[in-house]
Amino acid sequence: MDTFLSAIFSGTSRGAIFALVALGLVLVWRGAGIVNFAQMGQAMFTTYIASTLIANGNSYWIGFVVALVSGAALGSILDVLVMRPLSNKKKTELLSSDSMRAAIPVIASLGILGVLQALAGIIWAAEERGFPAPAKQEGFTVAGNVMPFTAFDVFVITCVAITLILTSLFFKRTGMGLAMRATALNQEVAKLSGIRTNRTRTLSWAISGAASSLAGLLLTPSSNLSPNTLDLALFIGFTAAVVGGLDSPVGAVLGGFILGMVISFVTFYDTPEDVFLAILAVLLLSLIIRPHGILGSKDVRRV
Amino acid sequence: MCVVSKLKAHSTARKSLIRTLIFVIVILFLGSRFDAYNQGQLSVVLILFIGVLSVTILTGISGQLSLGQGALMAVGGYCTALLMTNYKLSLWIAIPVSIIGAAIAGLLLGVAAARLSGPYLAGTTLVVALAIPTLANRFFSVFKGDEGLPVDVGYSPKWFSNTFGEPTYEQWQLYVALPFAAIALFFASNILLSRSGRMWRSIRDHESAASLCGVNFSRQKIFVFVVSASFAGLSGALYGLRGLVGPSVYPVSLSLTLLTAAVLGGIRSISGAFIGTIIIVFLPDWIDLVIDNFELSEQVSNYMPALISSVLLILTVVINPAGVAGTKLHKHK
Repeated sequence: MDTFLSAIFSGTSRGAIFALVALGLVLVWRGAGIVNFAQMGQAMFTTYIASTLIANGNSYWIGFVVALVSGAALGSILDVLVMRPLSNKKKTELLSSDSMRAAIPVIASLGILGVLQALAGIIWAAEERGFPAPAKQEGFTVAGNVMPFTAFDVFVITCVAITLILTSLFFKRTGMGLAMRATALNQEVAKLSGIRTNRTRTLSWAISGAASSLAGLLLTPSSNLSPNTLDLALFIGFTAAVVGGLDSPVGAVLGGFILGMVISFVTFYDTPEDVFLAILAVLLLSLIIRPHGILGSKDVRRV
Repeated sequence: MCVVSKLKAHSTARKSLIRTLIFVIVILFLGSRFDAYNQGQLSVVLILFIGVLSVTILTGISGQLSLGQGALMAVGGYCTALLMTNYKLSLWIAIPVSIIGAAIAGLLLGVAAARLSGPYLAGTTLVVALAIPTLANRFFSVFKGDEGLPVDVGYSPKWFSNTFGEPTYEQWQLYVALPFAAIALFFASNILLSRSGRMWRSIRDHESAASLCGVNFSRQKIFVFVVSASFAGLSGALYGLRGLVGPSVYPVSLSLTLLTAAVLGGIRSISGAFIGTIIIVFLPDWIDLVIDNFELSEQVSNYMPALISSVLLILTVVINPAGVAGTKLHKHK
């Protein structure tokens, strides 16, 4: 029973972070039609920035805010420098077919991932370093028993909940959010009705960058920080996004929690080494049973 | 009509044969001029060239982006290693058998992948590339976990040494890789000029138009996967024969390296695949040449090749997506 409770709690806390990663992927997919494989590279980079600030004697919260801001900045810079020129370049013969047009941005994002990881290795040494948590990582004690639930888990879930509420309010209540939803629905029509689609694209990259930075900040306290630490989070986040539906933010959150539970149960009841196989199994199952995801719309892709 | 098509078939095969012969002569010439280290590098070029060809065929010709070629290479490598250590087979028998093994793995992957497209396919194959090497730990008794299975090309047989003189270990590595690379080149060049190559290009360019012309595109997609997996398996088998077959030899980054090489050289052409492989393999050496003039710490020189190749990848994709060998493509719109 204890194992079961620990698995549930750790699954919730991990799942919240994976939901954030998946949300970042979904935002860029809706906004720009690209699956951003460099996303956790960006998060790794901004976490290093925060870690350097904290190591130099600044408080955790300064590092926290700087990481979020620089995550947004990095996302928009990448869009303006790499992805925008790419999407405006549809006339060459190589990019004339749908399949290559889908493949080329993926290759570009892998290139970005490589650049960010190599840069982080050059700037911040290759050795692993820890990253502080803002709250205690020991379990609460209730009536003398140590519960498998820590103050840090509460912090994680609060952070993720606030982010989810803020993004959904942004999309539902603001003009810019409406413009972004319109762009996601149909770019041509949105352009014709006066929406600056380039701007909304960059904005979705910025929001996704900030969200994944937050995910990076929340993931690293439980592991060490190195240029490759967050790669696994990307695989999990992608699987979560596919399980929930690549074009549905709510689905992404749902998928994140499902993946969190699966991984935590595999870790507690089996060996941690099987996690990769479990991810692959979940991904294949979801692609076979429900290829468009739990909450995704059917039109996204034909099977 | 019949005569014309026969002539054409002749010239296709002859074209590929001439290409292959020139390739073999150039490699033998270079191999005789290089020192031991560069001979080793040259055989890595030949080995990875086969792997890059698998990416060129799959992504460049049929338009399916796969990031899981490293997993197929691992299948080829483990098949060869198991056959050589458990059954004491010679590598000339073990490698063809493991190509069949990799082709079967490619068939399974292809059946799953033919339903997917674009980023779905890329992400799924990426997860495959991550998950397959962990099987080595899951079935420890067979695959020996992280330690892996030590195998190598061994030494040249008697008759070879008697006819051509005793080759060094590096030379022998090169001589083992060369015939396989030549066969792969001939096969790839032929199949791209043939009916199958045209069908694959047509499904890349327009699926509906291709199927209206009578191309059964889901069957062809699976077929491309099988062909590409055979190339990857061959490359993986030779790659493992450099000393060790283990999960650390076939990491996810290997798949990305293959893709980088294919894109840098020119994702649609065979010569591009070769140019890209040369760039990727020799880049660290070239960078060392330049860096030696500056006083830089070790960590900078460790990450420099990765940085430069990734920057080159982004620049290629943004400025000249057709790659080094395919600049011609730009002219017609």
